[in-house]
Amino acid sequence: MESIETGGSSFEILLVEDSPGDVRLTREALRDAKMHINLNVARDGIEAMAFLKREGALSHAPRPSLILLDLNLPKKDGRAVLEEIKNSPDLKSIPIVILTTSLSDEDVLRSYLLHANCYITKPVNLDGFLKVVKSIDNFWLSIVTLPPPAHS
Amino acid sequence: MTLDLNGSTESAARYRGLLEAAPDAMVVVNQDGGIVLLNVQAEKQFGYQRDELLGQKITRIIPEGFAERLIADGTRTAAEALAQQIGMGIELSGRRKDGSEFPIEIMLSPLESAEGILVTAAIRNISVRKQAEKQLAQTEGGRRLMEDSLRESEERYRLLLDGIQSYAIFAMDPGGRVTSWNAGAQRIKGYTADEIIGHNFSCFFPPEDIELGRPEEILRITAANGHHEEQGMRVRKDGSRFSASLTFTALRDPSGNLLGFSEFSHDLSESKESEAKYRGLLEAAPDAMVIVDEAGDIVLLNLQAEKQFGYRRDELLGQKLTRIIPEGFAERLIADGTRTAAEALAQQIGMGIELYGRRRDGREFPIEIMLSPLESAQGILVTAAIRNITARKEAEKNLLRTAEELKQKNDQLQQFAYVASHDLQEPLRMVASYTQLLAKRYVGRLDSDADEFIAYAVDGCNRMQQLILDLLAYSRSGADGKAQRVISTEDVLQEALMNLRAMIEESGAVVTHDSLPTIMSSGSQLGQIFQNLIGNAIKYRSASAPHVNISATKDGAKGWIFAVRDNGMGIEPQYFEKIFVLFQRLHGREEFSGTGIGLAVCKKIVEQLGGTIWVESQPEKGSTFYFSLPERGDK
Repeated sequence: MESIETGGSSFEILLVEDSPGDVRLTREALRDAKMHINLNVARDGIEAMAFLKREGALSHAPRPSLILLDLNLPKKDGRAVLEEIKNSPDLKSIPIVILTTSLSDEDVLRSYLLHANCYITKPVNLDGFLKVVKSIDNFWLSIVTLPPPAHS
Repeated sequence: MTLDLNGSTESAARYRGLLEAAPDAMVVVNQDGGIVLLNVQAEKQFGYQRDELLGQKITRIIPEGFAERLIADGTRTAAEALAQQIGMGIELSGRRKDGSEFPIEIMLSPLESAEGILVTAAIRNISVRKQAEKQLAQTEGGRRLMEDSLRESEERYRLLLDGIQSYAIFAMDPGGRVTSWNAGAQRIKGYTADEIIGHNFSCFFPPEDIELGRPEEILRITAANGHHEEQGMRVRKDGSRFSASLTFTALRDPSGNLLGFSEFSHDLSESKESEAKYRGLLEAAPDAMVIVDEAGDIVLLNLQAEKQFGYRRDELLGQKLTRIIPEGFAERLIADGTRTAAEALAQQIGMGIELYGRRRDGREFPIEIMLSPLESAQGILVTAAIRNITARKEAEKNLLRTAEELKQKNDQLQQFAYVASHDLQEPLRMVASYTQLLAKRYVGRLDSDADEFIAYAVDGCNRMQQLILDLLAYSRSGADGKAQRVISTEDVLQEALMNLRAMIEESGAVVTHDSLPTIMSSGSQLGQIFQNLIGNAIKYRSASAPHVNISATKDGAKGWIFAVRDNGMGIEPQYFEKIFVLFQRLHGREEFSGTGIGLAVCKKIVEQLGGTIWVESQPEKGSTFYFSLPERGDK
């Protein structure tokens, strides 16, 4: 796990992504964000669930306001992570944005059936990618009213 | 009608009847390729009268491939040439008198005769089978095949009933005036129905018999006894005499009043002369032939039947047919609550029935049987021509297996193309994103060489990405080919135009369309075709503003034909085919961007929808791309 503190009261985002290149690109895209964003990164599905359930060394992990989830992940893939989160009474209120390379209709449909909040295919060029991440940032962190923090 | 086959001419008549009743067309040819004998099926199949073919060359009815097989050349004698062909099913084309052609399968066998070695050819019309083979892969094949064989069997049955050529059959009034006349009577006695009806039958007698009052005497005897049989001399229309076997029957109404007489007769000289020939012909017949009575007992068989089933003749005569054809044959001929034996047989006539034959040693082999009825003193007999179809079955199996393998390979390839293009995209996305990031952050901060290198890297990535995206689209196109529903092609076009809106506005293109139909098809796929074709029409424009028109016409055979016509730069004829091939481009990258996949996608989709795509074009004048979509119950 890694996290970057951007200081002050910040939005916690959990990025579940195994490609370091994509992690870096996401970070680059969020660099100019208006809000303070703390980007937590999980490299696979197991790590993501450990973070969310605050297991072991992660007992003080923050509860993310938004999850960016790739579908194709090592160990436990994104579909299983999505299903587990949305079946968990504690976690299911956290909005999940699927951010993946998969173009398959089946993946899109299945994600929504599992209550993903939206599905985005990663643009293949840099400008498109930057634009998408900034839109996510803008929409979910500025426009949307997120659920109030859980009591736990 | 029952014919009495007793007496000295019984075997000649039986062999002749057998040949005539043979379900295959049979033709005997001499070494010069001249036709010396043929049966009624040969007349029917090829649409000739017998005398039109006798003495003619076989090439008249089998234009190619037959004579050539029997010709002696530098390396072989005629006998050797023939020997090479014996027993093989040779597929050729037959030509009817009216010029129409049909596929045939020929089995050849040699027939020794006073005239030297003759060749017997059993000719089977295999239109139905050919069609079946063609439709093997098609979904509707089975149903159509059934309908066709049903039609064909009805037709053959009708022909068989009409085609009594071997016997003169006619009726007379009580005074002996002819009142009806069949084809056999015309053939044997030489008069047409028009010439003879109304005349007294005494004209068939020699003058000395007429003088003796023989015709009147016969009528008197027949009237008294109800029935009369004799052998005697008769005279043909041309004055020639022949020895005939005759049966007269008195026809009476229910209250016993004499209505007239019937005469069944046949030419004994014909029978006597040809007995040996017909017997030889049956024995030489390339198919196994077995005759069965109504009880299912074997009453006659030929040499091929002995060979095929591995029995001696005396081991099979009088035995049940189920001994050599255990299943499916007898059942077809049995009378039950809903049909008589004759009806049961009638339903099977002329159909190639595929069953299994069992050899004496217990081994089974696939056979095709053709049935035909043979009237005799013992009642209706059934002639079965039995062909060993092991080789054909093997070939069919191979064909199916090959088709299945091909389909699997194709599926694998499709899967491979999809996976490859998707997985290639991933690392490339990294390369592209980071060279772009490099360009964004560092252009102008390094030296001019670095700027140029980065520009090339970015450009290369962009093109590679487009290529992979298009390839992905190509491999995915047609994947939902089965999802067809009723769609308005006009709506589909409007959607495609929406997607092209930016391009249309930017180029100032005018896109018009005629009235477009509602059809059964796949909307997303049709939209893709429209989008690619209209996009191309605008992209490859001439100096003038692009004008594109879309229209559709109905063509009986092809279904709907859509046309996308433009006033663009046009295409040289030598590229008409090439442009539909994957990755084929006609222009340099500096002139037009593109990966050469768009038209390949169109071609693939159209073909998966069962249609074809083609182009007509003149350079500088414009192009029209056409594609057809077969009708599938459109509304």
